[in-house]
Amino acid sequence: MAVKFFGQFLVEQDAVTGESLLHAIELQERTNLKLGEMAVAMGFITQQDIETAHSAQLSKDMKLGDLLVDLGFLSPLQLDEVIAHQKATHLYIGEALVKVGALTPEKLEHYLEAFKTDQAPYVANRVELPAWLNENTAAWEMTVDLTYKMITRVLGIQFRPGKFVESNVLSCNHMIAAMDLSGDLTARYLLSVSAGIQKTIAKAILKEDDVENEDDEILEDTVMEFVNIVCGNVVAKASQMGVTLDINPPITLHPSTSGLSVPDHYRCVIFPIHVGDNETMEMALFIKQ
Amino acid sequence: MKKVLVVDDSLSVTRQLEKIINDSGDFVCVGHAKNGAEAIKMNHSEDPDIICMDMNMPGMDGLTALRSLVMLDKAVQVVMVTSLGGVGDKFTEAIKLGAKNVISKPFETENVLRILRAL
Repeated sequence: MAVKFFGQFLVEQDAVTGESLLHAIELQERTNLKLGEMAVAMGFITQQDIETAHSAQLSKDMKLGDLLVDLGFLSPLQLDEVIAHQKATHLYIGEALVKVGALTPEKLEHYLEAFKTDQAPYVANRVELPAWLNENTAAWEMTVDLTYKMITRVLGIQFRPGKFVESNVLSCNHMIAAMDLSGDLTARYLLSVSAGIQKTIAKAILKEDDVENEDDEILEDTVMEFVNIVCGNVVAKASQMGVTLDINPPITLHPSTSGLSVPDHYRCVIFPIHVGDNETMEMALFIKQ
Repeated sequence: MKKVLVVDDSLSVTRQLEKIINDSGDFVCVGHAKNGAEAIKMNHSEDPDIICMDMNMPGMDGLTALRSLVMLDKAVQVVMVTSLGGVGDKFTEAIKLGAKNVISKPFETENVLRILRAL
């Protein structure tokens, strides 16, 4: 039910051992050259040029390829050629597992189909976002969309997603669980829930029919755990999109009646989740500017 | 029945795993630790066959504890539990350090039991 990468799926299915997977990954690491290594192998630049570019990266926030062009070591056309050659010669993990003898080509085909079916629920759908959120749009869309998918699949809650709202304050609710995302994107992910929704989450996470006698501590923990599940899967999906993220353990927030203020240098986008029956649920992102 | 130690700082995850393990008929949960340091102590006192351990915990995290556990006890089999299992680097790091498998969150009972039974 989670976002996975193909190697993990194969080990989980007992199709290959962890040891075989490591051998295949070592083969991939030897075969799949990084951009700079490929440019050297193609005779466009020298090792010294790469070292100069790496030093320049300390003061310039640019990708290595763009920097090599900026420094005049590569022409834009050569950069395109290097990237095209990298793609054409890339050894995928499935192919590597066949090469190390851990899978037959037939088994590979079978498990690729099974993997596609397993991961089909996590193919991202479009989500409307504010116009200013024009960098890493696909990653933000995926974050919101994956939240909706997890609410349906993990919590079993029927809902209608509302149009996003921009605000300087996230209004007070029974509780808010939050998790900080860092890396290529810096943001705080927040889920605000009413008391009834908190109990629905607790029932789903604990797989219990009745949570009336549960302590507040465990009820709050289940909401934090749900946020942990969503954010962990967001990080996994982002890594498949080439966006590197990390997470810190989730926290619980109990804002005053005036709500939770957005910190300086952050902008807040709220995604209302209409669940009916006088219960409320909102997902929010505090995004660093 | 094989003895399983659960290591997680989350009360709700501990509850879920204990229920799956104890209802399985093949495994029994012999206790739970809240961080890596407690896991090392309880591995000594409870002598479990299997440890199901969260990767991200306050104090000593799961990967640090995994390194120590496999060094101190060659017989114990460790399965990591994480919402980050789909991140290739995290998964392979756990396997390189000696984890037998990685259980991704959200759990599916059959998947957890298939992984434990395959050990």
